[in-house]
Amino acid sequence: MDVESMNTALQCLREKYAVSAEGTLVVDAGQAAEVRLETDGGAVPLLPWRVERRFAELKKMIDGGTLEQVSTLRFAVMHGGARLEHLVYREFDLCEWMAGSPILKAFAAVAGSKVANVIVTFANGMSASVECSAALPEGAAEIDRHEIIARRGVACDRVVDTQVPQASIYAFTADGVKTYTDTDAELFGFSDAEIWAVRAAFAVLKAPALAAEWKMADCGVKEKVTQTLACAETCVPAVFSEEIQA
Amino acid sequence: MKPVKIAMMSLTHGHTRKYYQTLIENAKLDWVASCAEDPRAKETYELYQTGVPCYLSADEMFERHPDIEAVVLASANDKHLAQMQDCARRGVHVLSMKIPTFDMAEYDAMIAAVDKAGIVCQIELEMHYNPVVHRLKKLIAEGAVGKIVSVQATNITLSPVWAFPWQGLPEASYGRRVPLKTGDARCRGGALCDHPHIFDLIRHLTGADFDFVYSSVAPNLRPELQVEDMLLVNGKLKDGTAFLFDPSWSRMEERLKVPGPGWEVFPKRMEVNVTVVGEKGTLVCDCFGPNVYHNGAPNDRYTVQYTYFDEWVGMIDEFAGCIREGKEPLINLRWHRPTIAAMNACYDSVASGGPCVVG
Repeated sequence: MDVESMNTALQCLREKYAVSAEGTLVVDAGQAAEVRLETDGGAVPLLPWRVERRFAELKKMIDGGTLEQVSTLRFAVMHGGARLEHLVYREFDLCEWMAGSPILKAFAAVAGSKVANVIVTFANGMSASVECSAALPEGAAEIDRHEIIARRGVACDRVVDTQVPQASIYAFTADGVKTYTDTDAELFGFSDAEIWAVRAAFAVLKAPALAAEWKMADCGVKEKVTQTLACAETCVPAVFSEEIQA
Repeated sequence: MKPVKIAMMSLTHGHTRKYYQTLIENAKLDWVASCAEDPRAKETYELYQTGVPCYLSADEMFERHPDIEAVVLASANDKHLAQMQDCARRGVHVLSMKIPTFDMAEYDAMIAAVDKAGIVCQIELEMHYNPVVHRLKKLIAEGAVGKIVSVQATNITLSPVWAFPWQGLPEASYGRRVPLKTGDARCRGGALCDHPHIFDLIRHLTGADFDFVYSSVAPNLRPELQVEDMLLVNGKLKDGTAFLFDPSWSRMEERLKVPGPGWEVFPKRMEVNVTVVGEKGTLVCDCFGPNVYHNGAPNDRYTVQYTYFDEWVGMIDEFAGCIREGKEPLINLRWHRPTIAAMNACYDSVASGGPCVVG
């Protein structure tokens, strides 16, 4: 990540939208987002997927009543080079945020250090399957899918009858096929990970109350990921205490 | 930069509501007032609760807000000339909707009024501020596919006429009643008038102007309309680039009075797909995808839920910048004139049944 350029972009957004709160992105390999936000109030863990457009739209479909009575989430991510616990972390946080309910119980079937297949139960009774793999070849484009199944309606970030993400542009030349997907004109030229990290930082600066919310979510999800992956060793489902839910 | 005091006028154009968020959030702007064409437009405007006062008379709006520096003319095409001349007289900068006028004498009168007043006049062709189009332009500029030899593009949507009735009225959309061709009860003013983007985009991508066009209308999907809803266009640019465009209203809609969820019958209500064939390769491009998808409320139909519609953000940035820095917008009246001429030539081709040279 080009954190220096990301910080420049963050300041441009602050000026453009007259956001007075200040903050700086700092590299942090321990975070799933790979960066954290440093503010006057301390460090803030970033949850960039929560501001990513496709997830924001899916969340709106749940909260706005496009989907009614959600039953099950089917989430999956395959990556090359990422840490497995970071993949599970993102999906767990997405799960809780989409479900609007904390994960109460999880059982993981883990193969080696790169694959985890998890079944999750939420406090509100919903279920989720979470498939995480860090076994794609290094440099391969991420493949993911987030499907929400409700009594009324199914929503997904993948179009029906497809298995892999589509791109906006396909370039067919003598060098082969290259794909491009650009979703943010204001941050054009940054990678997706950089864009959503800047957007997440901007969201926190714009609405500082988000910092506390994300810190709390971060603590809970980190603990749940650790316990879930550990339960694969014991073959006993991880059940989370109310303290973690807080 | 001192914020530009801006207003919106008429509020009857289909793109009206797309400005609200960016006019409110962008610190380069201070949205001070709006004026509606009629009580119905005012009523619809008030649904969005912008908090910005709305009048039913432009004179009253300007009288109460003499500090207005710029306006978005969100009006029917037949209102543009009078409004633009009024704004020019007041020294107010203008962001015009995508079709200033189809009457080339009126068009030249607009240029004269804008030049005389020394105001900025930008035309709303928002595709230029779409991130996928940015990438497409960049790839072509970098020579990814070499010299362009052909472009195929769709600019297909549902028909907005039920929510924005002027788009189905030849006088309001095209400027007057001109039959499509002998023996055809329909008039100019339909789907073609709604879809200038690909006619503009090909000029930017190639750097060439239109040589000739051929166009054919098909039977309407909505037989009750007075205007065309299905047509195809092909032809060549002056640099030899061949093209084929589909600017139809080929996606059916629920006949909502106010656009909202459930408007579409076909899953994707709006598509701009562009295929660029070059001497060294081919680019296949979906300017509004990928997205997210559902079959939930209100109609339980498989539906594309768009994940980005931010073109207005960049466009308004450019408009404000041009006003403060005295620059010419990318899409100004003079640039856009050959695009309108090409669209008129499409109608001439429909009437004649043969290709038409673009004058």
